Amino acid sequence: MTVQSQHRRGGGYLERPAPSGLADVIEIILDKGIVIDAYVRVSLVGIELLTIDARIVIASVDTYLRFAEATNRLDLYEKGGKDLGEFVGDMQEGGASKKTSGAVKGVKRALGSGGDDEERRPARKSSSRRRSTEEA
Amino acid sequence: MTTATSTEQEHGLGLERGCYVYGVVPFGDGLIPTGLTGVGDAPVRLVRHADIAAVVSDVTSDRALGRAADLVAHSEVLDTLAGLTTVVPVHFGSVLLDDDSVVEEVLAPGREDFADLLAELEGRVQLNLRATYVEDAVLAEVVAADPEVAALRERTRDLPEDQTYGERVRLGELVARALERKREEDTAVLMEAVTPRVAAWVERGGGGGIDDVVDVALLVDTVNLESFEEHLEGLAEAVHERIRLRLVGPVAPYDFVGGAGWA
Repeated sequence: MTVQSQHRRGGGYLERPAPSGLADVIEIILDKGIVIDAYVRVSLVGIELLTIDARIVIASVDTYLRFAEATNRLDLYEKGGKDLGEFVGDMQEGGASKKTSGAVKGVKRALGSGGDDEERRPARKSSSRRRSTEEA
Repeated sequence: MTTATSTEQEHGLGLERGCYVYGVVPFGDGLIPTGLTGVGDAPVRLVRHADIAAVVSDVTSDRALGRAADLVAHSEVLDTLAGLTTVVPVHFGSVLLDDDSVVEEVLAPGREDFADLLAELEGRVQLNLRATYVEDAVLAEVVAADPEVAALRERTRDLPEDQTYGERVRLGELVARALERKREEDTAVLMEAVTPRVAAWVERGGGGGIDDVVDVALLVDTVNLESFEEHLEGLAEAVHERIRLRLVGPVAPYDFVGGAGWA
């Protein structure tokens, strides 16, 4: 790459992993690229399995149980010396959306205005947020 | 696999030979770095047609493609080329019979489309940006924001699982819905901060994991790459208590060449 960003930046909040493992490569290239006419499809050993593995269907009872488990695993009492009561108190000051809108403002402040819409373009193809397995 | 009669005769070994296609580039002499190899360690070369060329290497079909090394080779060839010129990636595993069919079946019929795409992609690279939640932080928000969630959590966490099945399903459902709303809000905020600075973007597939927020491919002008990364660093810092940002690339523009065939 002409501009290979090897140098680490001071802050380091942005994670910059080099794609190395097979999982990374699959995630980047699988199902991507021009499908050319009349090409010979070669058997893809093992790919199907990996693909299915990588995509999890949402919204089943199992998923809900997984969310419940994650919520129950939380130890709110150990979070920075705050207990749940204080946390809730904080949240109630500004309502439930306080944290989010605070974050929004923070982001906007931190970044300045992002420029106008002159360069904005619609996405080439927008895929829905909720994904199905059929994409494989 | 289609039988390559002519090549079979040529080589007389019953081995089918083929021409593995990685992508299409504007033709340039000496474009391929010396020693660049692809699938099966075969040398990478160009097949030219007018002002465009296909990046190819020879393969034999006595081995199936799709091993880890093949996928890695495919992406390494494309990402190397993307660092040197503009490249339109071709789908993994695309093999034609020989150089002639690469010209006749791909380059000649697609020449105008390839030229248009190459012009659009010129001077631009793809970055993949994935946002994930700091799980404990957002779950704590969910618990704090919804008294029913908090109550269900209190009731279910210390009891045996089989006694609280229904409540746990309800708890999980509420949490999942709350996270879905958060995801939408946070995605909007992140995209608002990111998309004005990119030439194009597309949402990529992602898992339905608890911590997934959004996963996008961004097409960025190379001249803006450094300032864009600094911008993302600022964004990552601003949101880091709740959201982690992970940036991969630059890579070849895999997500900006369309998935469908030409015809």
